[in-house]
Amino acid sequence: MPAPAPSFRDPAGCCCLFNQRVLRFVTAGAIPEFEAFLQTNGARQFIAGKKFVSTRRLNEDETAALRAAPELQPVFNAQPGGAVFEHERIPFPSCPHEWPAEMLWDAGRLTLELARAALADGFGLKDATPHNILFRGSEPVFIDALSFERRDPGDPIWKPHAQFVRTFLLPLMAHRRWNLSPADIFLTHRDGLEPEEMYRWCGPLERFKPRTLSLVSIPTWLSRRADPDDQRIYRPHLLANPEKARFILESLFKRLERTLDSLRPAAQNQSAWSDYMATHSYDDPAFAAKETFVGEALREFQPARVLDAGANTGHFSALAAQAGAAVVAVDLDATCAGAIWRRAREHKLNILPLALNLARPSPALGWRNGECPSFLDRATGVFDGVLMLALIHHLLVTERIPLEEILRLAYDVTKSLLVIELVEPKDEMFRRLTRGREHLHAALDVKMFEQACAPYFEIVRSLALPGTQRRMYCLKRKGDGP
Amino acid sequence: MLLAYIDPGIGALLWQSIIAALVGILFYLKKTRRWIMEMFRKMFDRGPKPPGVGVEIPPPNVEAKIDAK
Repeated sequence: MPAPAPSFRDPAGCCCLFNQRVLRFVTAGAIPEFEAFLQTNGARQFIAGKKFVSTRRLNEDETAALRAAPELQPVFNAQPGGAVFEHERIPFPSCPHEWPAEMLWDAGRLTLELARAALADGFGLKDATPHNILFRGSEPVFIDALSFERRDPGDPIWKPHAQFVRTFLLPLMAHRRWNLSPADIFLTHRDGLEPEEMYRWCGPLERFKPRTLSLVSIPTWLSRRADPDDQRIYRPHLLANPEKARFILESLFKRLERTLDSLRPAAQNQSAWSDYMATHSYDDPAFAAKETFVGEALREFQPARVLDAGANTGHFSALAAQAGAAVVAVDLDATCAGAIWRRAREHKLNILPLALNLARPSPALGWRNGECPSFLDRATGVFDGVLMLALIHHLLVTERIPLEEILRLAYDVTKSLLVIELVEPKDEMFRRLTRGREHLHAALDVKMFEQACAPYFEIVRSLALPGTQRRMYCLKRKGDGP
Repeated sequence: MLLAYIDPGIGALLWQSIIAALVGILFYLKKTRRWIMEMFRKMFDRGPKPPGVGVEIPPPNVEAKIDAK
């Protein structure tokens, strides 16, 4: 039987997906605190502001119905006397390794906001990792509702401080210093970067820069001097004066907020693809024709959920979002995905930007590959429409993916619409990518493309973009593909 | 923090404790400063208020309305 619980580290309970529902099983001992936290001012405000996942306790009948499900027996058996809560489902779950640095920064802001609000209500945030957060469009939502517990009023230490540094501050520092993306870090380091690791990467002078000194060098020097067997380090040192303990924690959160703000990814970051919209090879009439074609397809099909594959800086994602779709915009360039996030936040567009390469989509990760499903597991059959604009030549030439495979992927992901741009081998960009390998793609033309589409899609209409070697296709998925 | 399960680190935890101790001193300094300020305020504010102090003066438009009556 597959493990039903993708979240299991917290001894207070676990969370699992069952029949498209998000269920949280809370142990008997943790129920009063969990319910008390959900009633606090902070939790209510964050739930009302859609920054915290909405949660309700299932009644006895609902719980009894779940008990009958054999898949859930191990979870019920592990937590006798516990209760089951149900969370709202976030439309498209994403993982920190798929976010641009901007989204990691935003998730860090929300984590600190919640930690401060909980402190005011007498609670403490017991873990501070980006895995506690998902994004609804471009807005972060805290989903690990069980991460709060009543704090000892005399405790001046925030235990997850080191985890917050490892999973937010040091990855953002590495992004700023070495342009490492969250994917470069989180695909291989679930719990972020250790100060000791960053210390090795820093040069002798850099180790004395104020921010590095505080986040990296001093913790490294202290850990070298500390006795690893000395358990006194981890014992709580409670203060007699709760006001003083709270003052110390508030001061810590303010300091962390200042540090996080200083690490905010710069808006003017540039990459090979971030200027594409200004430098692309279309002239104005061709681009206007492309825009009109995509707009008409969106109006005709009215997809509720759209995947924009190869979104660049999100021009067409914005078009789809303005047409009413919830968009997931995917681009391999993290700088482009960051630009989409800024655009979506600025114009309040329902776009979730993800930095991933469609030719090497995110794998399933975690224990038994069950903690974070692969991108394709999450995307298959989910979208009503897929946009593949100015993408096909990158997959064909750079990634050497056969045309049939590209269409098969689109067929798996969309439930209805595919808008795809055929870029022919004579196209300027196509030739730039082939670098002397034109013979490999000599057979690709309109006829061959349409034949390759036939098993999967019906051609609704097509349009040659004036003055280019490109053709737009509006395709409708066939119900019974091969 | 009975159910806290994350790795608190060693160096980072010690560094946080050192800063907490320093901020604790700042807490007392701020408290002492507030106490001294309060002392001075009480020292100069001592004694009953002279007649007229604290009586609300009506705004000019209200006076104009009274005159008109």
